[in-house]
Amino acid sequence: MRRRSVFLPVSAATALLISTSTLFLVFTCPWLAVHVSPAFPPCFCSIFVFVMANFTMAMFMDAGVYPRADGDEDRDEDLVAPLFKSVCVRGVQVRMKWCSSCHFYRPPRCSHCSVCDHCVEDFDHHCPWVNNCIGRRNYRFFVLFLFSLSLLMVGVFSGALLFVLDHLESLQELHTAVSLTVMVVSGVFFIPVVGLSCFHLVLVARGRTTNEQVTGKFESGAVNPFTQGCCTNLHFLLCRPITPSYTAKAKDRLTINIQPPFIPPESRDLTPVKSKEGSVQSQKITIQSLENLEDPDSKRLSIAPLPPLPPKPDPVVLRNHLAALEESLLQSSTVLPSAHSTSPLQRSGSPSRVLHQAPRDQIGMRMSPLAPLEHGSEPSLLQSGNQLGLQAVNSRSLSLKHSSRRGSKTTEPSPIPNVQIPSRSASLSHDSLLRPSETIASQTPYRPDLGSSRSPVDLPRLPVRTCSPVFTNLNRRSPQQRDPSPVCYDSLPKPIMSSIQEREEKDRPLVCPIPPGLEAGVYDVPSRRSLPHEFRGPSSRGPTPPAYGSREFLLSSAAYGYGSRSHLCSSASSSLTRASRTNNSALLFNRSLSPSIYQSLERQSLTAIPSASYGPQKTLALLRGEQQQPQPKPGLEQP
Amino acid sequence: MSRVMLIDRLLVIDQLCSVAGSRLSRTFHNLQELRHSASLANKVFIQRDYTDGTICKFQTKFPSELDSRIERTLFEDTVKTLNNYYAEAEKIGGQSYVEGCLACLTVYLIFLCIETSYEKVLKKISRYIQDQNEKVYGPRGLLITDPIERGMRVIEISVYEDRGSSGSSSGSSTTSSSGR
Repeated sequence: MRRRSVFLPVSAATALLISTSTLFLVFTCPWLAVHVSPAFPPCFCSIFVFVMANFTMAMFMDAGVYPRADGDEDRDEDLVAPLFKSVCVRGVQVRMKWCSSCHFYRPPRCSHCSVCDHCVEDFDHHCPWVNNCIGRRNYRFFVLFLFSLSLLMVGVFSGALLFVLDHLESLQELHTAVSLTVMVVSGVFFIPVVGLSCFHLVLVARGRTTNEQVTGKFESGAVNPFTQGCCTNLHFLLCRPITPSYTAKAKDRLTINIQPPFIPPESRDLTPVKSKEGSVQSQKITIQSLENLEDPDSKRLSIAPLPPLPPKPDPVVLRNHLAALEESLLQSSTVLPSAHSTSPLQRSGSPSRVLHQAPRDQIGMRMSPLAPLEHGSEPSLLQSGNQLGLQAVNSRSLSLKHSSRRGSKTTEPSPIPNVQIPSRSASLSHDSLLRPSETIASQTPYRPDLGSSRSPVDLPRLPVRTCSPVFTNLNRRSPQQRDPSPVCYDSLPKPIMSSIQEREEKDRPLVCPIPPGLEAGVYDVPSRRSLPHEFRGPSSRGPTPPAYGSREFLLSSAAYGYGSRSHLCSSASSSLTRASRTNNSALLFNRSLSPSIYQSLERQSLTAIPSASYGPQKTLALLRGEQQQPQPKPGLEQP
Repeated sequence: MSRVMLIDRLLVIDQLCSVAGSRLSRTFHNLQELRHSASLANKVFIQRDYTDGTICKFQTKFPSELDSRIERTLFEDTVKTLNNYYAEAEKIGGQSYVEGCLACLTVYLIFLCIETSYEKVLKKISRYIQDQNEKVYGPRGLLITDPIERGMRVIEISVYEDRGSSGSSSGSSTTSSSGR
């Protein structure tokens, strides 16, 4: 609710405009029509109407207001949320700033209007005289209003001047007095209006907005990627189609029925797993496979082809590695030890395989559902049941995050009993971990979706010892409630974690001091996407140190995201964390930090400029305040 | 394959293997009441591609989260088609000149009466997205949200997963709305 005082300028402008023009039309125009030109009044009227039309459009038209994001675009971002995101616009790096009010990264040229409290596309300025933001949609009308008003004022001033000059001897007369008043008013406002018109003419010619001009974005030699030349800019200004308003209500909402079972993709670009017959495996887990109960060697079972290790951690990798694990276990006929606490391997949704195996193995060994079918596998990098447990752990951690997203399930750290149902649904989701028996009937024909987790596991690279520490953390966090913080931790990309531990081993500083030369308040913080780049193809991995799953290690990995230097990627950029945006960043500091990390954070907060240092300072404060337990942040993970 | 056949087969499984836990037995007994339901698992956001300026164009890079849900080619086709639609909407040509002149002459009252070409293309886009959702994405457990609802900043793809079978009381499919 705006104050009433905001309506003063627009009311005054409207009143002045209408009254001056009306008086001029009534008192001066008749004489001008006779003594100057009969075309004068019609021209004046048309220009006046044009001015009013543009004025009205500039006043009431939506400037290009972005609707606020629901907050779910937060999820798409990494844990260490940068304040800026860099994009390349016509070869020029442009920074997109995170808008904490609207919950998205502002597109290029977008800015948040503090008066109206919304983000506007191609934001020019907020004009008090029209009481509206000027942005992409109504900039044309605003500029035309200015130009036409200038023309109108020139006409009014000159017409009134002619009248007054002709009636100098009778200044007390009504007509003359009115014309004199009109002349004075138009003369007084002539300078600012024409000045503003010229200013905007220059802006259009240079392809800038008022916001950019005033903030000096493209001064001192910086290239403006948004200009396309003076004539093209003018052409675009006048002729570009007007985009419809983004905030208009949706008129017809059509409903789509989304009903499982879902069709999996038919082919994959990844390296296929060759069956004994050498054919490429299809990924489909369809009900068709049930039809081939008699044919246990059916190729249509759901074994994911094992992809080559990707440079980036990928949830898909997890699934594929899990599938590879299955393969390897299928190949071997060893009976797994019963130490495995979960049975994510039962995810294989191949009913025929299950049926084939079921009669043979009545005891619920975890291996049982994995019939040794003739599916050749890529050389599995994992060997034994230990890795199976690891896989279990990882999938559990993934599914924990998954479940916390949905917020409807609780995780139980207790191991799933060994007596397993041989046939399992394909889902590696929470359900399958906890209630294996229920999933037997729901043969989902698609691969389990672990995409919700952002912690792809580089399975072959993680040695066995990582099981227990991770488990410890899981238990510690009492994941009964929807507690986002452990999920965030669990969902740290495992390759990153293990690579970080590598770095620790090699004594490389995890947390670097702020490099000089960076502009104040902005320093390099690797985004999640950028972090893996550094770990691309690590050639060797040492043995896991015992501290892998420890608090300190996990925190150091978080601090790594905060403090360490990294190369800027084209898609992810440097910045401070935005603590006001989500609680993710704060959650990273919900545990006691090791001293080195503390120091780095202090250093960060000290060197940051006040406005920009909100993030680390706040998180440090949080850290000091909450040493023991992670605070569940309501609304963090909203479905 | 029909669900009845599936149910029959599963009953056979039950009889064959005796390792079922109690839950499984209950599940089999309730086969007739089983329903599949989908729940929202994740949202994938396709960002804008600003390499050619501020024209409306989305990145065709295939997100990794969809790797197991939809073929790459289908996704890229969808995004490329959307990009083409938006390019057509923003094209400055005869249609836009006519509309501009008419608007000036009628003192912008024309905007109250007719639909601009941009709005027409947006309707086409909406129909296309609806069509894609029904034919391609819906069956794969995905749902595209019209970018206009997000201010044309992102294409939001909701990823649904099968929550597994649920009891008859709660069985229902997820219906989502999309388009305008």
